Amino acid sequence: MRLFTTLPAVVAVLAALALAAPALADAPLPPGLAANIFQVPHLPPTDSQLAVAVGSPMPDFDLPTVTGGRVRLADYLGKKNLVISFVPAAWTPVCSGQWPGYNIAQDAFEENDDALVGITVDNIPTLYAWTRQMGGLWFPVASDFWPHGGLAQKLGILRRDGVSERALFLVDKKGVIRFIDVHDINVRPDLGPLLEAMAKVHAEK
Amino acid sequence: MKALALGILAALLLLAAPNRHALAAEASEAPGAKPLAVGTAFPDVPLIGPVSPELADNLGIPQNGPTPIAKIKAEVLIVEIFSMYCPFCQRDAPAVNELAALIDKQGLAGRLKIIGIGAGNSDTEVDIFRKKFKVPFALFSDATFAVHSAVGQVGTPYYYVLKKTPQGFTIVAAHLGLIHSPADFLKDVTAKAGL
Repeated sequence: MRLFTTLPAVVAVLAALALAAPALADAPLPPGLAANIFQVPHLPPTDSQLAVAVGSPMPDFDLPTVTGGRVRLADYLGKKNLVISFVPAAWTPVCSGQWPGYNIAQDAFEENDDALVGITVDNIPTLYAWTRQMGGLWFPVASDFWPHGGLAQKLGILRRDGVSERALFLVDKKGVIRFIDVHDINVRPDLGPLLEAMAKVHAEK
Repeated sequence: MKALALGILAALLLLAAPNRHALAAEASEAPGAKPLAVGTAFPDVPLIGPVSPELADNLGIPQNGPTPIAKIKAEVLIVEIFSMYCPFCQRDAPAVNELAALIDKQGLAGRLKIIGIGAGNSDTEVDIFRKKFKVPFALFSDATFAVHSAVGQVGTPYYYVLKKTPQGFTIVAAHLGLIHSPADFLKDVTAKAGL
């Protein structure tokens, strides 16, 4: 019986807690958007042998995108400089932050007449769900899933466990690779050096 | 029976706790986050990166750092730990700008100031964020995460509200996640900082 007399008080306390949404909470725990992010242990920084160099022609590619279209090297030749951002895997911590950052850097890409394409070796449905969770991206996201890591392999950035390196490539309008950053897979690359390279290529006219 | 009721109450309170956090959600997670406690001293972290002459003058610091944060001339300082890579920080930017405007409007600008520190962001990356959202207050870089680490590896956006004491800044309030109402946030800041 005592329980029943206590219950209204319990409910009242709970209701008060549920309604209490102070603008300034005392340091709550990060609940995380990241509920769906798979935590990855520290990995060897790189695990592949680069097959291209600055000055090499960009290998041809023709890959499906999350919007149902395709991206091809030929789409950009003679029209736009092209930045390709390979990230290792969808739903992992560093990768899930990198492209949302590029999402607000659109002006910097456009000022330098650069297009940006994001690529992973994940399949299209996975990339679709993941990029939607980011709130959408202004640049195309393509899948190098099949033949698995085909482009990554041509570039020499396919790791032995089947994911790609975290790598940036800048390709000029002639199809020549002008900047490569195969980054420590555990760390997000600073955009600074890429933007400098983009500005340098753009200044050549 | 009393014990049972208390047990149920305790269990329900435990269940309710995550809901309370969920209300303050909408932040990018930082694994290993250990926010600094309210009432403790804020570490005298270095502020890095160039700021405009006007903002440097407003804060009473040189344009080029590193400058210890305690040098900032303010009775109360709101420090936003953000990242250009954090979608929540991007979404929060207009609200923080509105907060800055409200501080001006209420004539508090001389006493209450805001700065942002870009966790893991280089000067270039901070600049992208500044330009994209037309941030009116000073933003500093923290490319090596050194400041982020010193302030508890918090999720972002994270707000520390600091009050100047003779020993430096002391934390009087903290907030994780989006600011939904700049007016309510400011009201809480002024109340907790005793402005």
